[in-house]
Amino acid sequence: MLKIIKVTGNSLSPFFLPGDYVIVRTNRSITQAVKPGATVVFEHPKYGQLIKRVLTNNPASKTLNVIGIHENSISSHKLGPIPYSDILGKVILHIKKPR
Amino acid sequence: MFYKLIQTIDHFRPFPKAQAHCDVPCGIYDPITAQINALTVVRMMDLMANLADVDDKSKVEFQNSMSRYIAVKEDHAEKAKHEIRVIWGDFIKDAHVEKYPELPGLVHKIMQLGSNCRQTATRENGLAFVEAINQFAEIFWSLKDIKIKKAKAPYAPGLEMVYPVL
Repeated sequence: MLKIIKVTGNSLSPFFLPGDYVIVRTNRSITQAVKPGATVVFEHPKYGQLIKRVLTNNPASKTLNVIGIHENSISSHKLGPIPYSDILGKVILHIKKPR
Repeated sequence: MFYKLIQTIDHFRPFPKAQAHCDVPCGIYDPITAQINALTVVRMMDLMANLADVDDKSKVEFQNSMSRYIAVKEDHAEKAKHEIRVIWGDFIKDAHVEKYPELPGLVHKIMQLGSNCRQTATRENGLAFVEAINQFAEIFWSLKDIKIKKAKAPYAPGLEMVYPVL
C-alpha cells in the first residue's frame, strides 16, 4: 500500500525540505528488509510521526536505528532504536516543492 | 505540475505530516544555562525559607510572594533538566560515554535531583542539584578540551560554579 505524507521541519535538509511530499510504501516485509541509507517514516512515542534516514537495520532485535541527514544532527540515542512495528513505511518517491 | 496536483489534494484533504524533527545542527551547547537555572532553584528555596518566618501568613502579600517563589522554583528546576537533556541527547556521543562512563549515571542523578527540588523546599536538595550539574559542566568542558575554573557566582546564593576558561 502507498501513502502520501507531507514533510515538516528542517533536519533532513537539504534533501527533504518543509512542504515536500513523500510517497511511502507501507508493506511490512519491505520495512524489515530496509537497508542503511533508506529513508523511513515512523511513529515515535515522544516526537510523533518522524521521517529519518536508516543508520542500521537490526533484525535480531527487530529494530532500526535512524539519524537525521546532517552529520551533526540529533543523536540516534535520543530517539532510541525504532521497533519494526512503529515503522510506517519506506520512502519510495520524493516530490519536491518547487523553489 | 505533479507537485501542484498533490498540493491541491492536500489542501482539500490534508495528508498526514512527518516531522523532520527540529534538529538544526547549530552546535551551540553550553551547560551554563542549566547551572544558572539550578542556582535559581536554591535562591528560591532561600527566599521561601526567609518568607516562612513572617508571623501573619494569611496576608495576601505573603501568599502572593510564596506562590511566585514556588512557581519560579518549579519552572527553573524543569528548565535545568531540559538543558541537560538537550546536551545529553544532541551533543554527547558514544566516544564521550566511553571516556566518562559515569556520565549516564550522572545525567540520571540530575533528573532525579531536579524532581526532588520541585517536590521539596529542602536546600540540601538544591545544593546537590547545583553540584551535580557542575560535575556535568566539568565533564562537558573537558570533552571540548577547554580548561575550567571554579569560582563563586557573583550573585546570591553565591555558590561555587564551574566556568570555562576561554
